[in-house]
Amino acid sequence: MQKIASTGVKGGVGKSTFAILLAFKLSKQGKKVVLCDCDVECPNDYLILNQKLENPKPIYQEYPELDEQKCQKCGLCSETCKEHAIFWIKDKYPTFIYDLCTGCGACWIVCPNKAIKTKRKKAGESFFNKVNDNFWLITGRSKAGVSETGPIVREVKNRAIEFAENNKIDCLILDTAPGTHCSVIQALLDVDKAYAVTEPTPLGAHDLALILELTEKLKIPSEIVLNKFDVGNKKEIENIAKQFNTKISVEIPYSEELVRAYCEKDLNRVVNLI
Amino acid sequence: MKIAVSAIAGNLDAMVDARFGRCAYFLIVEVEENKIKGHEAIKNPGVSAMGGAGIQAAQIVASKKIDVLITGNIGPNAFNVLSGTGIKILTGIGGITVKKAVQRYLKGELKETKTPTTPGFGPGRDMERGMGKGRRW
Repeated sequence: MQKIASTGVKGGVGKSTFAILLAFKLSKQGKKVVLCDCDVECPNDYLILNQKLENPKPIYQEYPELDEQKCQKCGLCSETCKEHAIFWIKDKYPTFIYDLCTGCGACWIVCPNKAIKTKRKKAGESFFNKVNDNFWLITGRSKAGVSETGPIVREVKNRAIEFAENNKIDCLILDTAPGTHCSVIQALLDVDKAYAVTEPTPLGAHDLALILELTEKLKIPSEIVLNKFDVGNKKEIENIAKQFNTKISVEIPYSEELVRAYCEKDLNRVVNLI
Repeated sequence: MKIAVSAIAGNLDAMVDARFGRCAYFLIVEVEENKIKGHEAIKNPGVSAMGGAGIQAAQIVASKKIDVLITGNIGPNAFNVLSGTGIKILTGIGGITVKKAVQRYLKGELKETKTPTTPGFGPGRDMERGMGKGRRW
């Protein structure tokens, strides 16, 4: 099975569009394809694919809870917490501020008295949809207000990988969130190839360099998908491609017909226009 | 009695900083018999913190065993933990010096605040509580 990511730093450049079109095209060629929507803070691949999210499965995250019997009020948990989510003053029990807690686990690992227990809370959900006979969609969605969504991406990705392995899937396509933060990194880990989607604008160029720097660090072979290639300044994108020793392998034109077909969810027509 | 005031610089003649978690300095003012006896200036390490600046600030002033906090605005996290320790919180102060603010408090001209005054910039439990560091791009 091949694992391919559609990623990028800038929002609205066409990461999801590319991921969906790639999945759609491969499935048309008779390949068994799973598309995994890893943009868990704002998943929307299902909308373009005309699906209603089905087969929900809860995703849990662990949060700290104090065992006052064991706590020696040393304050080490508070000192360790990088999110400043533990309020502590001398001779008092620490207070956990759940609004700020990411559930990273540092406090219960560091506590010398094992006074921090964990409790599970629902942090999100994953969904499973059959789009057609050889095309499946797995979607992750975080609960509003969850401050760290990397672990949710890990869980939804695991569900997709498990299904893919059990069903001899040819290709798993991961559609990441925009950015270079934890949730994007989590989606990119272990992929065979990444397509960095961008547009020929100064912001597009700037953000392309950021994502290529990340994929280089993660040792993921990457190529560029240039959306709206025929407007703006393509030269800048070519320079960055050269700098990172890669190439623009897909070009999507700026065309009203294409946008129209896309909005009408006519993926056949969209694929034919590229 | 000890009074903490958020300030834009580290002396009594500095203006009150309207922000609590991200103020430049905390001035811990010591008061005896309704008169200022001395003060200590603490630089706020939370000025450029990604998140949790309010909690960090609350911890700094609470560790100084203060009785009263005077500031401009305070978010829900810092407000809750500070009121939990019994510290009196006075908000809405700005445009005057630290010395003046303390004097006004001592004359009984400032009122205690019973609720936080800003929605806070942490991610919050629901979406209406602002866009914090949750989305990092």
